[in-house]
Amino acid sequence: MDLARLAREGDESAFAEIMRRYSPRVFNFANRFFRERSQVEDAAQEVFLKAFTELRSFEGRGSLEGWLTRITTNTCLNMLRSSKRRPELKSSDLTEDESGWLEGQMAGLASEQHKSVERSMVAADLAGRVLATLPPEDQLVLTMMDGEDASVKEIVKLTGWSESKVKVKAFRARRRMREAVEQLLARQPNKR
Amino acid sequence: MTKHIIELLDEKPFDRFSEAEMVTIRQHISNCAECEKAFEAARVSTVLLNERKASTHEPSAFFQTRVLARLREREASNEVWNFGRLWRATSALASSMVATVAALAVLTLVLPAETSVTSQETVSVNRYSAEAVILNQSQFGEELQSDSQVLTTLYGSEEEVVR
Repeated sequence: MDLARLAREGDESAFAEIMRRYSPRVFNFANRFFRERSQVEDAAQEVFLKAFTELRSFEGRGSLEGWLTRITTNTCLNMLRSSKRRPELKSSDLTEDESGWLEGQMAGLASEQHKSVERSMVAADLAGRVLATLPPEDQLVLTMMDGEDASVKEIVKLTGWSESKVKVKAFRARRRMREAVEQLLARQPNKR
Repeated sequence: MTKHIIELLDEKPFDRFSEAEMVTIRQHISNCAECEKAFEAARVSTVLLNERKASTHEPSAFFQTRVLARLREREASNEVWNFGRLWRATSALASSMVATVAALAVLTLVLPAETSVTSQETVSVNRYSAEAVILNQSQFGEELQSDSQVLTTLYGSEEEVVR
């Protein structure tokens, strides 16, 4: 709260300290939504610019981290809404590595010995591409609930949506994601 | 055949199904190709989301510097904007003050003059009104004298004038 108060009073070093402490968290959060590093940086920058402007509204009731997470959620959601959505991801759009990763999954090669940093990076990138075909709110719900293990109540707190809205969105988002992946798997040559 | 399990798959992430739920699912998909495809897709979706969670981006070394620079830029542009707003407000105030002064000047200088002209006109129209009589007593006194009386006053009696 002291840091927030000092930053609110115009103490630049206090705000720099807030950034130093919380930027890894903001980056990790934004990283769930954007594939490009530049987009992640843009989102994080926007979050801190907004935070500086809105410090007056931070009353210190909750944690500064929670307050920043809410700003990050809204910022990422707005950026997703304004960015162009891919209508569909076809198997012909996949890179060789991505096709290889899916084939490995179909053949049951997801064991520990087949895990590698490169394969994880391919999978993370593919996940981002599949998510990008979904509506922004679906991306948010899936990323938070299924990717970050957030509870329905946590999503309610972050977004301000009702519990039933979160549940319905999560159900529909899972179905859309599953159908998108099913389409990709159906066109893999080595399907079981 | 048991009930299709597709809707069950969308209720929660794949890795959060209980043992009992997994038994039901596996029993069903062993006889249902459609649900088996959905099951595989749900499993891969969960793996993809977990892999996404594992990837990280660290803030770059210049991130903090860049944000602070943007903040300063924004503050500076806000100051310019504020000055512009102040200037506009000031000029509006100055204009209204000038208008007020002009209006007061008109009220002070023009209207009283018009009022005096009107009173003079009134006097000239009605020379014998009580007001005119009071104000111009001496004037009326002079006019009431005949021309000969004036001449007498100036040059004495008629006889003296003839002489």
